[in-house]
Amino acid sequence: MGLRKVAVVGAGMTKFVRRALETGKELAYEAAKMALDSCELTLDDVDGVALGTAPEAFDGVHMKGEYLSDGAGAWRKPFMRCYVGGGTGVFTPIQGWYHVASGLFDVCLVVCEEKMSSCQPHPQGAFLTIFDHSTERPLEPNLLWIFALEMNRYMHMHGLQKKDIALVSVKNKRNAADHPCAMLGDPNITVEDVLNSEVLAWPVQRLDVSPISDGAVALVLASENVAKRITDKPVWIKGVGWSLDSAYWTNRDLYYPKYVEYAARMAYEMAGIREPRKEIHIVEPYDPFDYKELHHLEGLLLADKGDAPRLTAEGVTARTGNMPVCPSGGLLGVGNPIAAAGLMKVAEIFWQLRGEAGKRQVPGKPITGLAQAWGDLMQVGTVVILGIGG
Amino acid sequence: MSILEKPNKNVEARVVEGEIPIQSRYTYGLAGEKFFREIMDKARILGTRCVECDYTYVPPTIYCERCFAKLEEWVEVGPEGTVQSFTVLLVALGGSPLDEPEIMALIQLDGADSVLVHRLGDVDLDELAIGMRVKAVFKPKKQREGSILDIAHFAPVED
Repeated sequence: MGLRKVAVVGAGMTKFVRRALETGKELAYEAAKMALDSCELTLDDVDGVALGTAPEAFDGVHMKGEYLSDGAGAWRKPFMRCYVGGGTGVFTPIQGWYHVASGLFDVCLVVCEEKMSSCQPHPQGAFLTIFDHSTERPLEPNLLWIFALEMNRYMHMHGLQKKDIALVSVKNKRNAADHPCAMLGDPNITVEDVLNSEVLAWPVQRLDVSPISDGAVALVLASENVAKRITDKPVWIKGVGWSLDSAYWTNRDLYYPKYVEYAARMAYEMAGIREPRKEIHIVEPYDPFDYKELHHLEGLLLADKGDAPRLTAEGVTARTGNMPVCPSGGLLGVGNPIAAAGLMKVAEIFWQLRGEAGKRQVPGKPITGLAQAWGDLMQVGTVVILGIGG
Repeated sequence: MSILEKPNKNVEARVVEGEIPIQSRYTYGLAGEKFFREIMDKARILGTRCVECDYTYVPPTIYCERCFAKLEEWVEVGPEGTVQSFTVLLVALGGSPLDEPEIMALIQLDGADSVLVHRLGDVDLDELAIGMRVKAVFKPKKQREGSILDIAHFAPVED
């Protein structure tokens, strides 16, 4: 396609917290500055900035992209903001990727920020108006019960029990106990804790769900010649993919995320991956709810339909398993500042492939990893594949 | 990993209150106008059909999102259908417990390919199951005002 190779050369991340003293701009700055410092670049080295952030209603600032731009390092630079709901965090590095792959920029700063605590009385309120105004909103749908419908459908189609799914929450919250930026890490949590937590909208219980959070994450992307000058450990963006399914969320069978499969197939093709289960060594699928990690592993073709719970139960997806899944601790453990949470997953793959993940480091020197997010009206899949060598 | 170790404490911060005041007035649209008028006047549920894709949309749309054809064939669907999924709500949006659990469901109406989201009523929690047959219960004509809530709920079909 005549595209240039693009590497991730730096990453930064704020702690994910329930309410940050920092404004959104300041959060964006903290993450962006850390990312630049990590690869010893300054703002002068940055040719353009790609920003991802979710609905205006979270931060409570209209035209939030412009509001955040200076914190994201965009002063007097080409700047774009992109947004596909929860999928934004993995979509934004794709924007950064083609800024560099196209030959337009040599260095692109990618920043994702979310300050959900501003939204009162609860950030769920921001989602009440995403539904159709005449056919759905009179029924007062909220995200919890939408996902409860999906979770129930998934459980029904595969004959799954709540305890099969709770294992994901336990794994991720335990993994997060080793993450210095995590909000809900818990080394001692058990399946019983999840099953005994408050029922919100059956089958969804309190500990099946990720928390509301504030935070920001940033990456520095560079073209091949620049990357090789900056670091001897470039992590290449091997493949990208994204896909939107029907915006009528009731027009598809919720038990299987086809849009994730389409996005994954696009990314696998670009990366030259024919056997994803052998060639992807480490995975960060989007896990705002525990069942979503399973759902997404199946959509990514990394598990047969309905088989992801078995892989979890057998420890295949543990940090020390054959295919570590969410070694970061995921959204369930690290936290879920929407756009930032997705980019955190790409950053985690970057750190893991470089062997810089500290206590979270997976064994076996992985060389290829995949991050995925999901969102919009529950119908967008975004995928980035990173790899070292080659 | 030193960049991750930078402390960023969660503190009690002083805050300013604010809001973005916005009100909206929505039209039903070409398809919605006909769909809701039929419910209000005749207690009938209509869909639009794409012959090319062999797919019936409920609620109706004026175009097929799959092939982009303009849809002009209207068909009556339901009022009976099958529950595809359900959830039992125990907590209100603000976090307080609900007095009575509320049941929301995805209902595939007979003759439709897409699925309608609505409330279930007159149903025993023990009987609740995916695959159960339900039927639309309309409000009395005088109370109908051209809203999705003109269907009060869906209730189990008596055998």
